[in-house]
Amino acid sequence: MNGKHENRVEKVVSDLLRGRRLKLRGGDAEEKAAITTAARLAGGRQGPQRMQPAFRKRLARALEESPRDGWITRRAALVAGLGLAAGAAAGAVGARALEPQTVKAGDPIQPANGRWIDVAAMSDLVEGHGKRVTAGGVGAFLFRHGGTVTAVSSICSHLPCELWWDGRGSNLVCPCHPATFQPDGNPSDPYHLPALNKVYARVTAAGRVEVLGTE
Amino acid sequence: MPAISSAATSFRRSAVTQDEPTAQPQAEVVELPAASRATNIALDELELVYAFIYARVGNRADAEDLTQQVALKAIPRLRQNAPASSIRGYLFATARSVLGGFWSTRLGLSEAELREDLLLVVPTDPPSEEGTESVQRILAELSDNYRRVLELRFLHGYSLKEVAKEMNSTVGAIKVMQLRALRAAAKVRPPE
Repeated sequence: MNGKHENRVEKVVSDLLRGRRLKLRGGDAEEKAAITTAARLAGGRQGPQRMQPAFRKRLARALEESPRDGWITRRAALVAGLGLAAGAAAGAVGARALEPQTVKAGDPIQPANGRWIDVAAMSDLVEGHGKRVTAGGVGAFLFRHGGTVTAVSSICSHLPCELWWDGRGSNLVCPCHPATFQPDGNPSDPYHLPALNKVYARVTAAGRVEVLGTE
Repeated sequence: MPAISSAATSFRRSAVTQDEPTAQPQAEVVELPAASRATNIALDELELVYAFIYARVGNRADAEDLTQQVALKAIPRLRQNAPASSIRGYLFATARSVLGGFWSTRLGLSEAELREDLLLVVPTDPPSEEGTESVQRILAELSDNYRRVLELRFLHGYSLKEVAKEMNSTVGAIKVMQLRALRAAAKVRPPE
């Protein structure tokens, strides 16, 4: 932190008390607890706040005007294995051309020009444990149920982050926020997030597991 | 003016029978299209999100930016006619991650480093105890001097100089006390 800590924190406090934005420097991280607490005290001192009418109007306009049909989120693009440049869909505008590939929550992923990709041997899978595999552009978690296998996407249904398997909780966990999913793809936390997309998986006569993915 | 009167009569008749389109205004009651009703429902939910975010960033400009980010991220979900409880859960999950991104960017930290704080700071639902009660509860846990300095600054809007005068101290000493008081306040845990 540049300068004395008490001076930097005082600057933050006086900005907050004047209703100004939080302007922080990298070095302020050392006092993150004091700064976030100052923001909470400033935010709470006047009781719950309501949006200003002008902002509410702006927000209404943004909600009404944003692209409606055929737009695709960055997450949906990743789930579909389209390899879409992250920036294009983050703006949710440039991706409209990819309309036919829109993936709804919970639906199975059907990649364009999909191919069955060999990802594991059946003997690699342990009942009750998720195994992370990649089939070209499609990432999935495999779950064994006796002689059959199910698979769900390895991308969170909320943020485009790679899930990880938490063996203790028997859940798929998102590293970006506290969201968890069951092996069948349904959310297991109170946020009611959309279900994970399913991924087609099959077991061959030779005991190999294949996933419908991309080259 | 019989001609005008006749034209007016003719217009009224045509409006009733809807014979032909007319350039005149037709109806006094305009029903809002479905999209507007959906938007209004979304806005009411976003009011809660705004209050939630404001209570954590402490200023209007940042709260507005972040609320807008939450709204835009959640649009696809808002359009699925999901039940209100599900929309709210989703909005708050989004608000939580947007706030995480905000603090990590402003403080130059990774979100992983902030994760513990966020888990503590951000509850899952719109909290019943927001605002002044929560401030009072935090202050009540502090020692007399710490509580006094934060009360005077945040609740009474005193400047450092005024606080120093009130507490018979110097500006420098009050500045240090304020920092220590905020650090102590950060350790106050929310009620179980």
